[in-house]
Amino acid sequence: MQDLTDRPAIEKLAPTKVAILGAGRGGTALLDLLHQIPSIEIVGIMDRDPSAPGIQRAQDLHIPVTYRPDELVSNHGVNLLMDVTGDPAMERFIHAHKQPTTDVLSGSASRVLWELMRHEAKLQAELFHAEKLAGIGSFATGIAHDINNPLQLIMGLAENLVDETDLQTVHEQAHEIVEAVRRTSAICRDLTQYARKTTTRDDTMVCLSNRLNEALKIARYAVSFHDITVDKSYQEDARATGNPDEVLHMFVNLITNAVQAMAHGGGTLTLATEIFPDNVKVRIIDTGCGIKPDLLGRIFEPFFTTKEAGKGTGLGLYNVKTIVTKMHGRIDVESRVDGGTMFIITFPPVSPVSGDQS
Amino acid sequence: MEQFTSGFFMPDHATNGRVLVVDDEADIRKVVRMTLQKAGYDVLEAENGEKAIETINYGENRLLLDVIVCDIRMPKINGVEAIAYFRTNYPRVPVIVLTGFPDTDMATSMLRQGVVDYLVKPVEGEKLRESVARAMEQRELAHLQG
Repeated sequence: MQDLTDRPAIEKLAPTKVAILGAGRGGTALLDLLHQIPSIEIVGIMDRDPSAPGIQRAQDLHIPVTYRPDELVSNHGVNLLMDVTGDPAMERFIHAHKQPTTDVLSGSASRVLWELMRHEAKLQAELFHAEKLAGIGSFATGIAHDINNPLQLIMGLAENLVDETDLQTVHEQAHEIVEAVRRTSAICRDLTQYARKTTTRDDTMVCLSNRLNEALKIARYAVSFHDITVDKSYQEDARATGNPDEVLHMFVNLITNAVQAMAHGGGTLTLATEIFPDNVKVRIIDTGCGIKPDLLGRIFEPFFTTKEAGKGTGLGLYNVKTIVTKMHGRIDVESRVDGGTMFIITFPPVSPVSGDQS
Repeated sequence: MEQFTSGFFMPDHATNGRVLVVDDEADIRKVVRMTLQKAGYDVLEAENGEKAIETINYGENRLLLDVIVCDIRMPKINGVEAIAYFRTNYPRVPVIVLTGFPDTDMATSMLRQGVVDYLVKPVEGEKLRESVARAMEQRELAHLQG
């Protein structure tokens, strides 16, 4: 088998023409993810079972489907075969029939993805972005609510001003309109900032409580905070070294998950930053449904999700962990079913002097 | 103009009709009240479904209330649950949905439950008053049928 690790020529992966073999859960997850990445072109997906979930999905996305492996395996236009069938016979078939220049990755979808990521720093950035954009899809309700409510206020006040004669009231209501417009334009500013591609700027000092507050604003578009109390316990000068966009993305993911865990019956979301002599900690705590002990070890795996199909990419926590690792930190989780979940992120201290709190 | 914020309608006050406005945003309740008072309606406000149910069951309100204008996305008891309650317990009181989210599925399901109109914010004052006026006629009919 050709091993990607031995090939510095992996640079040629951009743009990569990929074929996916296997359209079960794993193949579908790969399809959903890779089709959003600009440097990857999916040439086709194959499954012998026409009712495999990825076949329908591919048709929706206008990606060619086939039931015959040879159509993709011996295709000159493919330079990377991703085999997630888990079928040893398929592996033999591939190596007997593939073009000599075609690379092969095989195994579970998460392993295949992991392999791909390890060799493609650029792909990592695109993966972050794809996952972030997938999440923004769920913002529509929140955005509509937050734009249309102030618009209703503006409409009502403006209609009233048409025949309002009391000068004092005219002044007050005109002022209210200006404020409502300001609030509404802030929504677009926050969201466009969040949606843009993470800058590759150098790491800087990131104020953690500021990022948490910012993330809270963004998360309000994604999930309903009704019946949820937010409890903040910040040490204001808690800082870490990293990319501010990535830290924001990470906190949005964790806060969104926490609130979703409390979707039934509400609860309390606690955001805390603490400075210790040798590290800085962020805690994100919910009082929601919790995570079953047997699943706890898997939550950071790519494509692992307990959300229903189409509701999550399964990459949120995987990306969180990747960001934390890049920042030389660690993430721990404690959870009790029906009791809640606590994520603790520990960062190295930014400066031993200023970080030292007695 | 008299304000009715104390939680009950005045039984002997001359009015074109009595409307309960349910929305979690005070700003929205304020402009909807302004808009409806211009057409001579008395307005009561509730900030969520729970408060709305409390209000309708308070004192003589159940007898006096003509029309409900209700948001969907609210804390405590949300609009969907509150509307289900109104339709079950007060089937003769017409309900108008006024929501920030244009959602065809939601609109269809609400209209099936007997909601008389599904309005998406921002709605013009005139359109809201027309909708309430139509609902008032329906309420009249229900009264006549006894």
